[in-house]
Amino acid sequence: MTAAAPALAFDRVTVRYEPDAGPALDNVTFSLAAGERAALIGLNGSGKTTLLMAAVGLAAHEGEIRVRGTSLSPRTAAEVRDQVGFLFNVPEDQLLFPKVIEDAAFGLLRRGSARTDAYRRAAETLDSLGVGALAEWPLQQLSHGQKQRVALAGAIISAPPLLLLDEPSASLDPPGRVSLARLLDRLDAAMLIATHDLDFAARICRRFIVLDGGRVAHDGEDVKILENLIPGR
Amino acid sequence: MWTSWHEIWGSGRGPAARLAPQTRILAGAILFAACLASPALSLPGTALVAVTTAAWVCASGMPRRTLRSSALLGLAMFLPYLLLVPFIAKGPSVPGQGTDWARALAAPWGILIHGLAGLLIATATVTTLMMSDLRSGLLALPLPRVFTAIVVQIVHQTSVLLAETERVTAAVAVRGGSGKRRAVVRMLISLPRVWLPRILGRADRVAAAMELRGFAEADLRIFGHRPAGAPDIIATVTAGAVLAAAVTLRLRLL
Repeated sequence: MTAAAPALAFDRVTVRYEPDAGPALDNVTFSLAAGERAALIGLNGSGKTTLLMAAVGLAAHEGEIRVRGTSLSPRTAAEVRDQVGFLFNVPEDQLLFPKVIEDAAFGLLRRGSARTDAYRRAAETLDSLGVGALAEWPLQQLSHGQKQRVALAGAIISAPPLLLLDEPSASLDPPGRVSLARLLDRLDAAMLIATHDLDFAARICRRFIVLDGGRVAHDGEDVKILENLIPGR
Repeated sequence: MWTSWHEIWGSGRGPAARLAPQTRILAGAILFAACLASPALSLPGTALVAVTTAAWVCASGMPRRTLRSSALLGLAMFLPYLLLVPFIAKGPSVPGQGTDWARALAAPWGILIHGLAGLLIATATVTTLMMSDLRSGLLALPLPRVFTAIVVQIVHQTSVLLAETERVTAAVAVRGGSGKRRAVVRMLISLPRVWLPRILGRADRVAAAMELRGFAEADLRIFGHRPAGAPDIIATVTAGAVLAAAVTLRLRLL
């Protein structure tokens, strides 16, 4: 890793789920500087989730993906993933422990933090996301929006330098969206946020990457161009 | 009337729920084995099974609703075997095995007693454990770490899959315009087309999340566990004595 290395760089990346099918991502190139935030926007099936999955080695790709200077390969995947906080589209998929606090603290415990310290920081993170009172609850008893926040707590607790968030505001009520935007705004990490919620994206990001059919159709700071690129906007 | 899967876990309020998690699992497993080992066709054997089951159910403090549901489920599963008795009785008689009816009753009765007791003891054990207790208890026992990780995820994901199944059933009921019972039947018919692909998709995504979060490489002992004390030793020794009594009764019948 070098000091000037971008947080995330895609260089002519193509992803195919089937060898004979068309690409889900087609020759995608962009980079995200350290601390930079970008919204990944596009219609359903445009390749947003695939792009996020490819960035952590969960979708096989052609081309080169670098995370903070480390080229992604099966050999480096674990090292790359340690630098990434990832929020799945469906939060239940990534909640692996029966109790809220355990799931939130896992990322720190796995990296060798002492149990008391990990639990204290987990409680603080859950508090900052407005779910501190649920720390001892079983995950099954949470609503979808609460699960979303717990999953986010697990993603950000180890203060990773890169956050990849797939629809983070999807299940939140309007006050929840505002508080999440404020929380993300306070973080120093580089962020790539896949979302359909353009108002939420505009609160946090200055840069907008629009995907269309697996290709980058627009990459820039002009939010107004979205009105032409996204029908119904 | 029925109790849902995640309501059962940790719902017991009896003295057994205050033992260390590993003791609850171990004592439950030993008593389960004792009930299976005990000969159901002798009076002392049946009495041992009945007393052991009743004692563990009381010690777990499982809610009455859960007890009723488990007992009904057990009867529904194992009682129909008694319907086979007349057919077995008509079969060829075996010298030295009593009357035809006594011989015909032996196997179904054994299945009923062992099955019902096993189900009640397993449910009572589950009610003494929160899902997080299951993990810390298994980790404190001398079991392979991979086995523990898999069991913990199976239990955890079962809750998720049951919730998914409920959503599919509700969707079938709404879209099919039928009541809940008919929806369950329809869902069973459409299992390969609707339910299975969804569950497989979820399994894929959970596997991806496990890989991403480093679950497989993590040593789950990082969460710590409660050491065993004097009550745990007493409970384990008592359960062991019950197992020894059951095995002795079994050997005396041979």
